[in-house]
Amino acid sequence: MSHSILIIDDEDDIREVAALSLETVAGWQVFTANCGSEGLARAVELKPDAILLDVMMPGMDGPSTFRELRKNPATAHIPVMLLTAKVQSSDQRRFADLGVEAILFKPFDPMTLSDQISAVLGWK
Amino acid sequence: MAAAIDRLWVQYLPLTEERLAVLETAAKAFAGDRLTIEQQQAAHSAAHKLAGVLGTFGLIRGTELARELEIIYSRQDGPDPALADKLVEIAAELRVIIASRK
Repeated sequence: MSHSILIIDDEDDIREVAALSLETVAGWQVFTANCGSEGLARAVELKPDAILLDVMMPGMDGPSTFRELRKNPATAHIPVMLLTAKVQSSDQRRFADLGVEAILFKPFDPMTLSDQISAVLGWK
Repeated sequence: MAAAIDRLWVQYLPLTEERLAVLETAAKAFAGDRLTIEQQQAAHSAAHKLAGVLGTFGLIRGTELARELEIIYSRQDGPDPALADKLVEIAAELRVIIASRK
């Protein structure tokens, strides 16, 4: 079964590798946004099955974007996974406390990123 | 898939090199005792981004080194003065690693 996913990340290279990976390896429909505010608008418009959300972005960062997604009834139900290069346990605890579905880490293996996401979301 | 990732690497190599240049400039400035707060913040951000990107393109050692720099530049009162040479050495090693990827 095909799924759709929205990637919100300000880093063009990471966003494109992730999109390529999920489209090519998993065959999912991938949407992208390069900042939190664009991500909010695209999430409302496109209603993706899941969102992969970068943590550190200028302007509205990942945690702030996540809170806005949860506030909006149109997007509150969409599972969100944070994507971060921060590996310190204090950061991880802070992110986990937000209530996101999972925290995924950069760097990631483009060949297995979709497996990680499928495992988190119970997608076959 | 591998060919497509290689194409993205080449496409974004200028961005990667920009981030590396920020680290090289900061390292040289610190060695000369003239690192500004802005340079430190820029170096911290560049190191963080490289830590996330390099391993994704298969350069795991690059991620390890960038992460080391990210930690060093995260100190609010500036990097440990004893690490001045190390900052230059790590930036130089990163340049070799980045240049080695086809």
